[in-house]
Parts: sequence; C-alpha cells; structure tokens
Amino acid sequence: MSLQNIILEGIPVSPGIILGRAKVLRGREGYQVSPRLLYTEDEVAQELQRLRRAVDQTAGELTNHLAELPSELKEHSHILETHLIILRDPMIFQETQRLIREQHLNSEKALYQAYHKIKELFQNIQDPYIRARIQDVEEVYRRLLGHLAGNASNRTLSFSEPVIIIAKDLSPNETTQMSGSPVLGFVTERGGRTSHTAIIAQSLEIPAVVGLDNATLEIGSGETIIVDGLTGRVILNPDAQTLKKYEARKKEFETFRAEVAQGSALPAVTTDGHAQRIYANIELPEEVSLALKYGADGIGLYRTEFLYLRLRQLPSEENLFENYKAVVEAMAPREVTIRTLDIGGDKFLSPLQYPMEMNPALGLRAIRFSLKEQNIFRTQLKAILRASAFGRIRVMFPLISSVREIREARGLLEEVKKELKSQDLAFNERLPVGAMIEVPAAVTLASLLAQEVDFFSIGTNDLIQYALAIDRVNKQVADMYQPLHPAVMRMIRDVVQAGRAARISVSMCGEMAGDPLYLPVLLGLGVEEFSMNATAIPVIKRVIRMISLKEAREIARQALRKATVEEINDSVIQDMDRRFPEIFRFGRHLAAL
Amino acid sequence: MSAKKTAIPAVVKELWVENRHGLHARPVAKLTSLAQQFDAEITLEKDGRRVDARNMLAVLTLDCPQGTRLVLKATGPQAREAASVIVSLFARKFEEK
Repeated sequence: MSLQNIILEGIPVSPGIILGRAKVLRGREGYQVSPRLLYTEDEVAQELQRLRRAVDQTAGELTNHLAELPSELKEHSHILETHLIILRDPMIFQETQRLIREQHLNSEKALYQAYHKIKELFQNIQDPYIRARIQDVEEVYRRLLGHLAGNASNRTLSFSEPVIIIAKDLSPNETTQMSGSPVLGFVTERGGRTSHTAIIAQSLEIPAVVGLDNATLEIGSGETIIVDGLTGRVILNPDAQTLKKYEARKKEFETFRAEVAQGSALPAVTTDGHAQRIYANIELPEEVSLALKYGADGIGLYRTEFLYLRLRQLPSEENLFENYKAVVEAMAPREVTIRTLDIGGDKFLSPLQYPMEMNPALGLRAIRFSLKEQNIFRTQLKAILRASAFGRIRVMFPLISSVREIREARGLLEEVKKELKSQDLAFNERLPVGAMIEVPAAVTLASLLAQEVDFFSIGTNDLIQYALAIDRVNKQVADMYQPLHPAVMRMIRDVVQAGRAARISVSMCGEMAGDPLYLPVLLGLGVEEFSMNATAIPVIKRVIRMISLKEAREIARQALRKATVEEINDSVIQDMDRRFPEIFRFGRHLAAL
Repeated sequence: MSAKKTAIPAVVKELWVENRHGLHARPVAKLTSLAQQFDAEITLEKDGRRVDARNMLAVLTLDCPQGTRLVLKATGPQAREAASVIVSLFARKFEEK
C-alpha cells in the first residue's frame, strides 16, 4: 500500500486551491551535448557560421515572442529583452566563438563550457535575488542549444485535458504558450515570490506553489494531487477524507473570490448606510482600464513623475495636458486626483544643477522642489488646469509641511489661471486644491492647513516613515514599520478631526488604505475615501459592505485605548478573525496581489 | 625613453546601489544598454574586481545587493556624459517602484 497524504511544502505565490492530475514536464536538460573536435580551418569557419545562425534564429524567435506577447502579459516584456541582451553578451557569444576558434570545439560543447563558467560565477554570488538570475542565462542557453539542434527549443505545451503543471522551472514563453490550454495550476522547483511563474499564475488566476525542492522527482505524471496556493502545500496521494476537506476549502475560496469579483461594481456602503469612496492609485494612463475593471469610484492618486523620468527631459505643457486629459476623459464622470511632482531635481535634471543628495527623503523634493523651480511647476499647473475643462479634476500638493507652502502654491495657481484667461483657454475656475498629509508637522498643523485647502489626503507610506523614523527598505528596521503604531493611529485621528471641523474631506492613499486588515480601524477613525492599487478594490469594498460604521468606530475606539502596537494588532486581528473569517483567511491574499 | 602618452583623464565616481533588490537583471539591462550608447570605456569596480559596464553578465556576477559601493571609471570622448547619466540612473534607483 502506498503512502497517503504526503505533504510537500513550497512557497505560495498565487492564491487558490486545486485538485487534479499532475503533468510533469521533463526533458529540458535533454539536449545531447556531444563533444566533437574540428580538424580543419574550414570546419572551424563553418562551425562559427553555424553558431551565428543559431544566435540570429534565437534572437528572431525572442523578438517574435516580444511582438506577440498578449496584452495582459505586456508588462513582462523586459524578461524577453533581458534574454536578448544575454544572447549577445560577451561571456556567452564571444567566449563560445573563442572556444570554437582556439580549442576547435563544436558549438554545443563550446557553448556548454561558456555556460558552465558563467554558472560557476553565479554560484559564488551571495545575494539570492541576483544569484537566481542564472535562470535567465539558462533559458538563453537552452534556446540556443535547441536552434543548434535544428529546431526551436520549446517543449510543445498544449494539452487537451486539464492538468497541474509540475516543472523544474517555467519560462515566460512557456507559460504564454500554455494560455490556450486547460492548465489548473503550477508547481515548480525553482522560483520565488517575484518569479515569472508567480506573476503569470496571478494574472491567470490559478494557484501556484514555487520553490518546492524535487517536485519533478516526488510527483509523477498522472497522479492526483492537491495544490494549495494559500498555504504553499502540495498533497500527494490524498485519501478520501483529505480530498473532501480540500474540496470544501476550494469551494469556500472560489465562492469568496467570485463574490468579491461580482461585488466590485457595487457601491461601498456600510451595513448602516454610510457610503465610502473607493479610489484607485495610478501611475500610467493605461492603468485607467484596470481601475475601472476593478470598480474604482475615481482616481485618488495619479502619480505624475513618469513623464519626467521617461523622457529624461522636461515634458512640454502640451504633452502633460494630453496625458491628463486622456485620464480624465477615460474616467469621466468620475473624479481624478492629480498629485503634482513628487521627486527631486536630481532625478531628472542635470547632476551639476542638482547633485545627488545624501538624504533624499529629507531633501529638496516634492512641493519644495516645485516652489523652487517655479517654471517647471507652472507648466504642470497649467496642464492640469487645462485638463480640468474636460472632467472632474482635483490637484494635490505632496509633502506639505507649512501653511506658507500651501499659500505659495495656491498663489502660483491663481497666477496661472490669469494667464490661461488671457489666452482664452478653458479651465475649471474652482479646481479643488488639496494638501497631502505625510509630514508629522502637517499633522500638528492640520487645523491651520484645513483653512487653506479643499481636502486632505493622508499619504501613509511617508507619514509612517517620518513619524516612526523608519526606512522600511532597510532590512534591519523593516519590522518596526508599523501602520497600527499608536502614534500613527493618533495622527490619523487628529487629521480626520481637523478636516471634519473645517468641513473638508479626508482621504487616504498609502498602502495602508488597501489592506483589508486595517480597513475597519481606518473607517472607525473617520477616513471616508480610500485610494489603493486597483486589484485591492474588490476586497476592500466587500469589507465595507459587511461592517457598520458603528462597529468600525468601536474597533477604532478599542484600538486607541491600547498602549502598544502589539496590543493593537492582537485586538484588530482577533476582531477581524471573528467578524470576517473568510476575509481574514483569503482576503489579504487577494488584496496583496 | 619614449614620450609619455597623454593620458585622457578618467572620470571617477562613487556609486551606491540603493534600489531594493540590488543590481539584478532589470537594472543591469538598463545600465548596460545605457552604457553602450556612449563613446566611452566604462568600468565598475567592487572590492578590487573590475568589469566592463556594457557586459550584463559580468555586472550581474559582480554581486551587488542593496548597499553595495561601486567605483565607476569612464574614459574616452564621452566619459563625462556617460558618467553623469549612470550616476543619475543609480540615484533614481533604476526607476524601480
């Protein structure tokens, strides 16, 4: 009798549960690398030509894949571009040619040696993230071998019956080719949270577990297995009881996911009838379609830096205007909140003019930069005002730390309005102006700032960083970056109260706003508008529709009574677990995509 | 004695890898394609190991996680331009989110 319920543990990278038949992909390393010596110069010349042809064919193949990449995978084009660079890298291309020329090796053997030399160098790399890039070299190596053998290097990847794919690793091209076939899920030996398999499984909405050692050895083709993309477990040879348990869990998750998706278009109204606005954060105009798909009521944060960074020069007023207009028109009649430039001059102007800063977080950036480089700022304000003739726009200024900054910025805005009038250009005379609250000084001054603006938007990422003096990218202190820190909670409460007293709206656009765990507390503190990555919207809307404002206020009140972040976390987590067990179990997986 | 060659002064800059995952595939791809656009010899040095900045695999195997210090040397007609563009690419953290 064979063993039942063997549990293998990997890294869960795409949520969902699937029961099905395994299909193990093998043979990726199956190309014969038979050494052969070349005897004459003619043979060497022919061999070099053979190699170049294979390189050209591989380049052509990669270029074709790039062109044919389905639109939902377009963002992964950089992977193929990387492969194109590696293909012509001296350590591959020149080294292989050298080995053919000097040691009279055939292409396959020479390429094999060049590849193994690189592999050894990679094995010495300490950083796991960089070390993992050997996968890209390997992918190119395999493709080249395939072309040398006279055929394309890919396995045929179409199946008629639904299967769970088990492989050492999957390349982006392979997963793309599977998109027409009934693939139920992925299990791979390699990869991590940011691997190609993970990203693609997420966009196909199928479960995936990666980093599962020896998966292709432990699992046999045709075996029935369970893949739990929530916990990272893969169960082999499940008994009847286990199958039943997972079938129930699968159903539960799928119902939840479907309900969440169906509800994305419904308004976010609490059970006691208070409507909340759920907005999306975007960076590129193309992201508007995603925002609409996930049910955004508007754009709460349109980051405007990319045009400045992409062009590596100052964009023209016309260029900016066209851009803002496209977003506003696509979102109409919904509101779009444009944040003025939030970077420093060192990011795109000449390094002589703006030297690199030792401490950019505390340097000349955001509104400080805009007020110093008034021509750049005026151009942006002009473009925003002109676009305001085509839909509902709000403008907000980042990193405000004083009343003076708001007054100066508004002063410039008024001057620009006069200019536009004299040019007979249309704009919204009453364009709402907001201050981003992300510096502790602005929290302290909130009641004064509220007199000067039409709305507040709390940027939690920076506010938490400045309030707790934590750089969360720094691994040494990253765990001290705590959104529910009592100091942060009090700051949010104070800003909301100041806004309310002045009858202006208070929104939130940091990552905290898109996490279902924090939502009840924030709602209870009085935040009325939440802006987040579009994919988080359906889950957040669902949480709002399941809770009353009264309950949320109670949760916030309890949390405010606690003295430490640990106590607050415990109380909030317990509460969420009690009220919304399925959101707690599944929702964060969905929102965090 | 032979006349001394007039050495073209090299531009030397100190670089810090600030982006989250260090010099992995995507930033290095940006770096190498940028470095190839200039008429200049550009090298990166870490702990005494020096590699050509135009060579992707060499830069990758230099193993530069976040926090690494690198020395950039550029020579040639466009050394100064190349160096300043690369310095700014590092400062922008390779435009990673």
